[in-house]
Formats: sequence, structure tokens, C-alpha cells
Amino acid sequence: MTEKFYYDNKTVRNFAIATVVWGIVGMTVGLLAAMQLFKPEMNMGTQYTTFGRIRPLHTNAVIFAFVGNAIFMGVYYSLQRLLKARMFSDVLSKIHFWGWQLIIVATAITLPLGLTTSHEYAEMEWPIDIGITLIWVVFGINMFGTIFKRREKHMYVAIWFYIATFITVAVLHIVNSVELPISAFKSYYIYAGVQDALVQWWYGHNAVAFFLTTPYLGMMYYYLPKMANRPVYSYKLSILHFWSLIFIYIWAGPHHLLYTSLPSWVQSLSTVFSIMLIAPSWGGMINGLLTLRGAWDKVRVDPTLKFMVVGITCYGMATFEGPMLALKQINSIAHYTDWIVAHVHVGALGWNGFLTFAILYWLIPRIYNTSLYSVKLASFHFWIGTLGIIFYAVPLYFAGFTQGLMWKEFTPEGLLKYPNFLETLRQILPMYMMRALGGTLYLSGVIVMSYNLIKTMAAGSLVADEAAEASPLPSVFVPQGTDKKWHRFLERKPLLFLALSLVVILIGGMVEMMPTFTIKSNIPTITSVKPYSPLELQGRDLYIREGCVNCHSQMIRPFRSETERYGEYSKAGEFVYDHPFLWGSKRTGPDLQREGGKYGNAWHYNHLFDPQTMSPGSIMPPYEWLIDQQLDTTTTRSKITAMRSLGVPYETGYELLANAELEKQAKNIAEDLKQNNIKVKSDREIIAIVAYLQRLGTDIKAK
Amino acid sequence: MFKQFLENAEGNQGYLLSSLAIFLVFFILVGVFVLTMKKEEIKYMSELPLNDENNERGS
Repeated sequence: MTEKFYYDNKTVRNFAIATVVWGIVGMTVGLLAAMQLFKPEMNMGTQYTTFGRIRPLHTNAVIFAFVGNAIFMGVYYSLQRLLKARMFSDVLSKIHFWGWQLIIVATAITLPLGLTTSHEYAEMEWPIDIGITLIWVVFGINMFGTIFKRREKHMYVAIWFYIATFITVAVLHIVNSVELPISAFKSYYIYAGVQDALVQWWYGHNAVAFFLTTPYLGMMYYYLPKMANRPVYSYKLSILHFWSLIFIYIWAGPHHLLYTSLPSWVQSLSTVFSIMLIAPSWGGMINGLLTLRGAWDKVRVDPTLKFMVVGITCYGMATFEGPMLALKQINSIAHYTDWIVAHVHVGALGWNGFLTFAILYWLIPRIYNTSLYSVKLASFHFWIGTLGIIFYAVPLYFAGFTQGLMWKEFTPEGLLKYPNFLETLRQILPMYMMRALGGTLYLSGVIVMSYNLIKTMAAGSLVADEAAEASPLPSVFVPQGTDKKWHRFLERKPLLFLALSLVVILIGGMVEMMPTFTIKSNIPTITSVKPYSPLELQGRDLYIREGCVNCHSQMIRPFRSETERYGEYSKAGEFVYDHPFLWGSKRTGPDLQREGGKYGNAWHYNHLFDPQTMSPGSIMPPYEWLIDQQLDTTTTRSKITAMRSLGVPYETGYELLANAELEKQAKNIAEDLKQNNIKVKSDREIIAIVAYLQRLGTDIKAK
Repeated sequence: MFKQFLENAEGNQGYLLSSLAIFLVFFILVGVFVLTMKKEEIKYMSELPLNDENNERGS
């Protein structure tokens, strides 16, 4: 006895359109950011379009808007068919779709406005964080509802990846978003300094793992067999690599913090697990590529398979390179350089981008009941896209090596060979231009794809509800043949499966985080480290608003090449009042941790007003609006109170005196500027940011 | 190579060794399970995506 039902293709179509639209938007913004790095005029002279605000817009757009929508497209199509059931609820599907687009729009508005938490890939402020949580739960209910009403007894491996994605992203997002709101769009993380850094990179690394990797592996396991019309090479391997991957990935986050003030045992742990990660990652790649055994002739003619092959190969390259970068020796050169940017983009453009394109080319003709408008154009897209990846990655690898080595080079006399940071940057500007060319090629391919897909859609008509038939599951389970195995039992119990995945991913995070949070000796305190003055605190929030952290680190590693250039290396105890931490991950400009007292107030004023006058050839955008805009001191009180409740030792009642103290310090700076022939009112934003910059690293600076 | 990591761990080898032990046990468990899976079971599971356009198929 079979039941008749309908697959929901409309939601799949909607997510597909959103993928393409946001993909073009996100990549265009990326191209803009790339051009700003060799042509500062591209910052366009407004505060809303400077690199510091545009770069987070790009990363969030491509990760959560482009890849996010692509995940939902891929999951909604494959889940229904693998389970022989329509999605659990049409209403939830609609809420999920529109809710996610609303989150994207809210992000696209708030980030250019400078409303940011500064945690990389999680810059959205707290109201949006709550929105993400709610919509993610809607997605979860819709997915599990479908699993519960399925007509297929067993859950195919793709669905395991989807379940692991759902639960882990939920945990990551919640833990990384524990913030204390002080206004509608401003909050402070409850974690400070080293702990905040550990949480952020545990999140950041596993966002790569569970947002950019596991859902895509799930999709690979569904769509690749479909495209090649043969089952996956080894189902056993898929089980083994699934469990190993989700177990090991979680431990590797701190490899983003090698040589920093993070306790060294956490660093070592992450290195070991990073190396181990090669095995399950390559298990996935090998399983994907070998699925095509005996079908390589198809790869020659079928552009979807071409995209798959290059995409999976890029996954293999990036997941080999990642563990190599987690070796301390290599990391000491690569970290803070464009090598990391190249590494990320091999994964993003190759793995996520190409798999998404392959699925779009395969899926759109199917749900429109037609064939692809032009295979030739798709092939053209493949070639121009591949060329784009090469032009993007190769110059940046070169730039990364060059700059990393230049930073470390000494003369025979023992002095830095390139003491001026700008010299090392000027060397790699041609590489930045090549990178922008690579990005242009890649984006052109996406535009060609959009045309091809629009034409395909126009030629067919959407089968919004696709008819299907299957037998319902018997209400009482009768084990047959091989069904007695415990894993099969687990597969039939999705919630138990969810719980076990949760336990597996929690182990790593707990072992690394618990001791760092609870054992005092892991973060030794320094008595001379004092909380920020109210003006400095306001200045710090402006530093966050302008996204300075995107180009300037505040973490001097214990190398002679760094202590010579920047000063005393960073200590864990220096950051105990930093909510959030601002260590940064890329040095497009120099480190600023010991910036305080290096130059006079007038230098900073002039430099912020027009960086090129103080550092000819600098690519930093000018920040004139800091001079025009009045500092908002109405927030001082709530900021001090919030900081105190997070453990910063401001005395009780200090919030009432804070603004008076702020004005006093501001007047002193304005007075000092006046002596240098700079007339500026003491209530301007620039005064606060100068105060903050002058404070940086001075707590333990030798006088 | 691993010796170097142990030395760098600065008296916190316990974390490293117990972490590796936990993983090893876990990995062996999954390994044992995979090795004991039956051939027809594997075949059935791996063909799930290919069968989904057949509306009716026995299990």
C-alpha cells in the first residue's frame, strides 16, 4: 500500500535564487574590498564604505548569505527525497526562508553603519544574533519534523552530516554570542582577553568546519552519486570519516592562536589534532573522487562533474594546507599574512563555490522540468572560474611568503632589514592587483551562470509540488536481517543520533575551554594593568566601530623580529579587561599593541585625518569624520556599569563621575594638539580614539 | 615530531595524552562497528540516493 505525496520544490527554488543573488552581492563587495587594498580612493571617502566595515560585510555575505542559502537549497532538495517525505511544515519553510533573508538584510545594513561586535565571522550585534538563533531553530524543527515523518527507515550518511551541522552550529553560535547589551545595537562579550580569543577561534574554526564543510560533505554524498549515476565509492569510509571528522575538528580551533598569549598546552593540543585532521578530511576527498571511478569519461562532457572534481580537489588541497599551517614553524611565517587569505579562498571559491555551482546547474533544470539552457556557457563558467581561483590564490601565496619573510629579515649587523612596515606592503601591491583580477574573473563566471540559469528557468516551468509515492513505515518496528546492529538502531533514532553527535563535539571544546576559564594560573594577572579610562573606553569602541582590527593586530608574538619591530611581546594578563579582545588575525598594517606613546597626539591626529601625509604610500583610508563627529557621551555611564558587571574593577559610583573625567582627559589632549597648531574641539570622536591609541600597551611598558 | 609537542606542552602532557586516548578509544569503536557491517547492508545504504526517484522500492 503506497501513499501519494508531493515534494516541495518552491522553497528549494527560492533558496536557489537567494544563493545566486547574494552570491553576486557578496562577491562584488569582496571585489570592492580587494580594490581598496591597492587603491585607497576606492574607500570612497565615506565612513560606510571603508575597508574596515566592508570586509566584514563581504565575509558575512559570502558565508551566511551565499553559502547559507546554498546549504538550505541543497538540504531541502535532498532531505525530502532521501526520506521520501515532504518537508515537515510549509509554514516553517516559509518562515525559514524569509527569516534568513531578513537576517541578511539586517546584517547588510548594520555592518556598514559600524554596528559590530568585532568577533570575526560573527560581527552581527545582539538583536541579529537572536534572530539567527530563532531561524536556526525553525530550520531544526523543520528538518527533524521531516525525519520523524519519513517513509524511509534508514538515514543516509548525508543526513548525518546535516544533523551534525545543525547541532554544532547551534552550540557554536550560542556560546560565541553571549553578550551583555548596553543599547539596541551595542553589546560587550562576557568573555575577556585570552578567554574571548579562545571562544572566538573555537567558533571561527568550527564555523569553517560545520558551516562550510559538513553540510557540503553531506551535499557531496547526495549530489555526486546522482550526477555520476553510481553509488558512493565506500560507504564504510563515509561512516568512519564522519565520526572522526566531527570529533577531531572541534579541537583544532586554537591553531589560529599559535605563539599568542594563549596557554601553550592548548596550542600544542590544537596542533596535534590539526595534523590528525588530515585523515578524515582526505577520507572525504578520496571518497568523493573515487566515486567517479569508471565515470571519468562523463567528466569530460558534463560541466557539473567538472565543477565537482575541481571543488573536491580544492577541498583536499585546503585541508592538507590547513594542518601544515598549524605547524608552529610554518605558522610563524604565514600568520598575519595574505597566505591565510589565499588558503581560505581556495576552500571558499573552490570547494564551496564550485560545489554550489554544480548543484545549481544540476538542480534548476530538474525542478523546472527542462534541460540546461547552454552546456557551453556552463563549461565557459567552469574555465573562467578555475582561472579566477588560480589568479586569486597564486599571487596571494606569493605575497604571503614575501611579506612574512621580509618581516623576519635581519641585516648582518642584527637590525631589521625592513624596519618600515610600509616597505613590506609596497612590495606586494602588484599581487593585490592580480588578486582583484582573479576575483573579477570568478565573479564574471557567476554572472554568466546567472544568465544561463535565468534562461533555463524561462524555458521550463517550476514543478512547485512534485508528485511521489512511497509506502509508509510500519508503526511497530520489526527488525529484519541485519537490522539488529547498534548503529542501525541509532540511525532509526534521530534524536539519539543528535545527542551522540552533540557529545562527540562537546568533548574537545570542554577539554580546551574549561581549564582556561577555571584555572587561574592559565591567565596570570599583572598588577600594573588597570581598566581603561572612560575616554579610552569610548575610543576603543570607536576602534571597534571602524573595524581597525581587520588590518591591525594587537598581539606581539615572542620573536625577536617582532619585539624589535613592535616592542615587548604580549602577555595574557594584559588583556583581562578587554571585552572583546582585539588581537586581530591579519596585518595589512602594523601591530598596534605597543602603539601608546610611540608618536605624539598630533601625529595620530594628522595620520587619521590623512594617512598619506604621515606615511607616504600608505593604503589606509582617511578618517575625516572622526573630526566632525561629536563623541556620544550619553553611553559612558551604561558602558562603565556594564563593564563592572563583567568583572572590570571600576569602583561603585564611578559611572557618575566618568563623564567629568572623560572631559578632563579630552581637554588635555585638545590642549596638547593646540600647542601643535591643531585646533579641534575636545568633544570630537578623534580625541577619544587618540586617547585609546596612546594607552595601548603602556600598562607594562618600560619607562 | 610528537616528542616535540609533548615537550612544548610544559607539564600539561596529561591533557594531550588523555585527549589522544579518548580519540583512540572512540576511533576503535567506530572502526569495529564499520568492520562488522554486512555487505548487503552497505549496498542498500549506499544506493539510497540513487533509488529516490523510484517511488516504490522494497527494503
